[in-house]
Amino acid sequence: MAAWDLSVTVEDLGSDAPPVTLSVDSGLHVGGVILKLVEKTQIKRDWSDHALWWEQKQRWLLRTAWTLDKYGIHADARLVFMPQHKPLRLGLPNGITLRLRACFSSSVFQTVMGICRMLNIRHPEELSLLQPVEEKKKKKDKNSAEEIYDLTEVPLSSASRPCLYNGMPAHFADSPQMEAIYKMLSVTQPPPAPEVIAKQYRAASVVDKAHIHGRWLDSSRCLLQQGIQENSRLWLRFKYFAFYDMEPKYDVVRLTQLYEQARWAILLEDIDCTEEEMMLFGALQYHISKVSQSEPQMLSSSAAMDDLESALQSLEVKMEGESIDDMSNVIVCFRPKRMTLKGYKQYWFKFQDTSISYFKSKEESIGEPIQQINLKGCEVAPDVNVTAQKFLIRLLIPAPEGMNEVYLRCENEQQYAQWMAGCRLASKGKSLADSSFQSEIQSIRSFLAMQKTSSGTHGNAPANDESINTHSLVSPRYHKKYKAKQLTPRILDAYQNVAQLSLTDAVMRFLQIWQALPDFGLSYVVVRFKGSRKDEVLGIGPNRLIRIDLAVGDVVKTWRYNNMKQWNVNWDIRQVAIEFEGNINIAFACVTADCKIVHEFIGGYIFMSTRSRAKSDTLNEELFHKLTGGHEAL
Amino acid sequence: MDDIDAMFTDLLGEMDLLTQSLGQETVPPAPLPSTDKEVNYSIGYADLNESLNELEDCDLDALMADLVADLNATEEKFAAQKEVLKVPSLPPPDLPPPPKGLSTHPASSLASPASPASSTSSNVSTPASSTASPLPPPPPQVPKPTKEEMEANIKADKIKLALEKLKEAKVKKLVVKVLMNDGSSKTLMVDERQTVREVLDNLFEKTHCDCNVDWSLVETNPDLQLERTFEDHENLVEPLSAWTRDSENKVLFQERGEKYEVFKNPQNFYLWKKDKNALKDMKDKDKELLIQENFCGTSIIVPDLEGVMHLKEDGKKSWKPRLFQLRASGIYYVPKGKTKSSRDLICFVQFDNVNVYYGKDFKGKYKAPTDFCFFLKHPQIQKESQYIKYLCCDDAWSMNLWVTGIRIAKYGASLYENYKTAEKAAVSSVWTNRSSSTPSSSNPSTPSPTIKAKSPSQANGHAPKPQQGPVSVDFGNVPPPPPPPPLSVFPHPTPPLAAKSSSKPAAPQRHLPTNFPPPPPAMDLLPPPPPPPNEDDALEAPPDFLPPPPPAIGFGSLPPPPTFNSPPLPPPPVSFRGVDQSLPPPPPDPGFLPPPPPQPMFTGAGAPPPPPPPPPPAAVPRAAIRPSGSVKKMPPAPPKRTTPSLQGGDGGDFMSELMLAMNKKRVH
Repeated sequence: MAAWDLSVTVEDLGSDAPPVTLSVDSGLHVGGVILKLVEKTQIKRDWSDHALWWEQKQRWLLRTAWTLDKYGIHADARLVFMPQHKPLRLGLPNGITLRLRACFSSSVFQTVMGICRMLNIRHPEELSLLQPVEEKKKKKDKNSAEEIYDLTEVPLSSASRPCLYNGMPAHFADSPQMEAIYKMLSVTQPPPAPEVIAKQYRAASVVDKAHIHGRWLDSSRCLLQQGIQENSRLWLRFKYFAFYDMEPKYDVVRLTQLYEQARWAILLEDIDCTEEEMMLFGALQYHISKVSQSEPQMLSSSAAMDDLESALQSLEVKMEGESIDDMSNVIVCFRPKRMTLKGYKQYWFKFQDTSISYFKSKEESIGEPIQQINLKGCEVAPDVNVTAQKFLIRLLIPAPEGMNEVYLRCENEQQYAQWMAGCRLASKGKSLADSSFQSEIQSIRSFLAMQKTSSGTHGNAPANDESINTHSLVSPRYHKKYKAKQLTPRILDAYQNVAQLSLTDAVMRFLQIWQALPDFGLSYVVVRFKGSRKDEVLGIGPNRLIRIDLAVGDVVKTWRYNNMKQWNVNWDIRQVAIEFEGNINIAFACVTADCKIVHEFIGGYIFMSTRSRAKSDTLNEELFHKLTGGHEAL
Repeated sequence: MDDIDAMFTDLLGEMDLLTQSLGQETVPPAPLPSTDKEVNYSIGYADLNESLNELEDCDLDALMADLVADLNATEEKFAAQKEVLKVPSLPPPDLPPPPKGLSTHPASSLASPASPASSTSSNVSTPASSTASPLPPPPPQVPKPTKEEMEANIKADKIKLALEKLKEAKVKKLVVKVLMNDGSSKTLMVDERQTVREVLDNLFEKTHCDCNVDWSLVETNPDLQLERTFEDHENLVEPLSAWTRDSENKVLFQERGEKYEVFKNPQNFYLWKKDKNALKDMKDKDKELLIQENFCGTSIIVPDLEGVMHLKEDGKKSWKPRLFQLRASGIYYVPKGKTKSSRDLICFVQFDNVNVYYGKDFKGKYKAPTDFCFFLKHPQIQKESQYIKYLCCDDAWSMNLWVTGIRIAKYGASLYENYKTAEKAAVSSVWTNRSSSTPSSSNPSTPSPTIKAKSPSQANGHAPKPQQGPVSVDFGNVPPPPPPPPLSVFPHPTPPLAAKSSSKPAAPQRHLPTNFPPPPPAMDLLPPPPPPPNEDDALEAPPDFLPPPPPAIGFGSLPPPPTFNSPPLPPPPVSFRGVDQSLPPPPPDPGFLPPPPPQPMFTGAGAPPPPPPPPPPAAVPRAAIRPSGSVKKMPPAPPKRTTPSLQGGDGGDFMSELMLAMNKKRVH
């Protein structure tokens, strides 16, 4: 066979270096080419990760046993010799950027698997890579200061699951810096400053959201094929909202990042919620950030620790049971009915068990009280203005005839915090002896402190651990609607229902409420239905497709996957056709995203639903590819 | 026999206590509902005399039975604790004092509503501490044996027993009269730790009804014209305690199809927007999937409800239409002139502090547009009030949608847990019933044949969570689930086992004696009909001792079935193979379809594999046998408290003798 010249660019020689020319023949296999190439460069190093990339055809020559002939390579081919793993700037759901080496030669699906393995995230099939929204170039200066965590030194392992050391993958235990990175991954970030939230890109409409979903990378092709270059920026995000087998013990990073993604979805109004829900999300964020600061280790502690903790707690209960049984000797003012315009009258109040009783004076408190009120099941609301030194507790006490309204006016912060905590516990049927009494007082005081600082500095104060700007906990819409100090009592109100949760429980609760939102899990694509003359929106959810009228915003139609008989894509006219049971056929062309993305979403969700515990540990990659691959799967 | 006599006097003492506390009960008025812990009083009786009179005859026996069970449990625990049954004659002097205290002191209770309770408690505890001066304080844990001599030991034992009883007495108990469908009533004692489920199980024993999942306890309030089905996980005593003293409220024992309709036909709630005809013949597989999706995920999904309802605004007489939306966090409405977008919604009510009730005949009472009304109120509100939120729907269907949706939002996963437990109870009862009566006579008006047919496999597949109650240590200490002695005493339960395991039970589960109204089955089973005459009760009493949920306990002791989470039926992945070519749907891949076989159950239970076809029957009988065996191993671990079930065999003998003795006494 005749020899001919093949020129190969070797990336490691620098971008200015001329291509290396090799004399080859068509029968030479790719491995031979690489061997020749390495000999010629005379550089001694580990070349094992390197491979040839054929630029014109946009494909890797990974089968080293194939001959050039078989690949169809001729003298005009421009080949590049480069490592398969290259650094990537990866934006995590928590907003932090990691620099790590990702595989540029395998399918994005496998690349994500590799990344997740490195970061210790289980079930990588639920995540994928997203091209970020372009940042405005003007703010480039600020961006350069961004801290980047570097993971490029982590050795590439092929082990399906990294061995754990101290609950984290061994490579994170190498140095304090690495441990810090793991902490960043596994501990929730403090609430962002309100300006940061305000500056972020927010999808204003469902069409905007659809545009974002057009940016998902194709999971069956490799990064390089999709134009992703070394050091590009990509976002790692949960793509399929079907979270399988969530286990706080093993899923520290997964859970944390999912929480972060959910939190940002709420803060940026990527998913709509009501004001009440927003307050609850705010309260949970506050609680989570508070608890994760005090409890810096991972979400899960060992069983032994749990035991110890519960033992200590019960001890605490016992001891407190002996010490604080009642709280009295505190004078509070009281107004029985709202309509009586008479002012507050002073009484001697006594708190016992879950009831309060009041007396004319301290001296009479040995006798029968004027009235005793059991607070179990009552509603407790604060009415506080720190600057005006107003500390009111509003009680709505259920009675057979309706609710009795009672106001308690406390003299100072200290008294208010104690009585408020007492009322809160009593309303849940717990007495003052309950172990949570002190922490309840603490949290009430820290909320009071928040009110003080936020009213003083107009929300620009950096968040220290005692006070958080409440604007950091809600979406910008509420920044405009409420002042920070107006928000505080509302969030505090919601906070009382979650204040006792452990970190893990609080994170789980946040995720549950998020998942219970009506629009949860919907990814949008603007489509044009066959026979229709206007654009409409297709929402793709974990169990259904919905058709949304763009003009009104209403859901017009819902189709569930389990009624789906088949779907297919006509790649020539880029049309998706779906057949449902009962002879229902729909077809549409995609406007804001490639139809491959829609195809992948549907197939992906079908795949997610096939996962079962029996085969939980081995990811059925082949099936995923079959369901989502499209052309490539054939 | 001496023992029994002593036991009996003891019992009488207890009865005294009960009746006296009933008397005492009527003294204090109830301006504010006090939730005290120690009072025994009766619910469902308009006045004391009536209650006592009624107690006099039939109910007394039933109550006696309950009490005996109570006592027995305490007794046994105590005995087990000491191993030596050295205290045959219980010192009656230990008991009487409290009642006296109760009856003399109520004077002090007049001043404040809550004080009767506290005075009661202090009175109760004084005699105890005086008798028990050398001993640890009231909370009668007393885990360590005293270091004194034999005599002192015996004395200490007596005191301990007394303390146990005192503790028992501190548990709030209500005598509840439950109205049956046929107008008759049953009276039972419910203690504050008992859940509605346990009370239902109890009633199943007493009524011999078919135990299907629809049986419910229903609260009615004539003042508000309300009706509410108690949820199975609720503690019955708590809502009843909110009733006013003079209330005409009632507790009914009824079949309520709507209680668990959402699990029988989830499509009607989750896909209500779809064509109703299409929903009618939904495949079981798809229903199962819907339940999985909405109840078995990380988050409970509330049906997506939206619609116009009429609202009776606070204190006003008119009803105004508004567009409402149900969300997990509450009911919202769309303000006038705004869009339906979430952020514009106004919160109408959140569910933390309210329950949802059906309103009866509101067209007449409040001039509501229709009679399909429901409302939300704090459970303690018993009279008309501006704090009650009334809503009116166009039809019964949407009313049920809303009420069920609200219940899902409020109770979440508990609702499904309840259903699974109820289903289990229904399945196991089917087998016990079947054994004692011929199934042929039942009328086949099963409302939910599909579920019935399915239930066996489900009962197997689900984790035995709901059993925390009886298994937990707390209960060891208390009567509710009395020991399961009767195995050896009453012939009933055993034959069925044999019958079951020998007969081929594949077909029978179809035509079970489900669903006949309560009275007839009783006639089938036992000669005397229910309108409660004495003999009937004598016959009915024994079942009281049956541990209400014996099969459940059995399940509880089985190793956790691994299947619980696995069945998320992989939906139709089956059909999506040839993605790109439009292949016709390939034949179902067998790997996906069959729900996980119940195999592991059998091996796990450590029993020889029974005939495979219908798993539950096999599991149930074993459950019935098991408790004694499997539970027996437990005692060493928790030494101070042993579950009553421990005493299996001889306890039964003892009980039966006691019953004999009681019957004799009555004759004399």
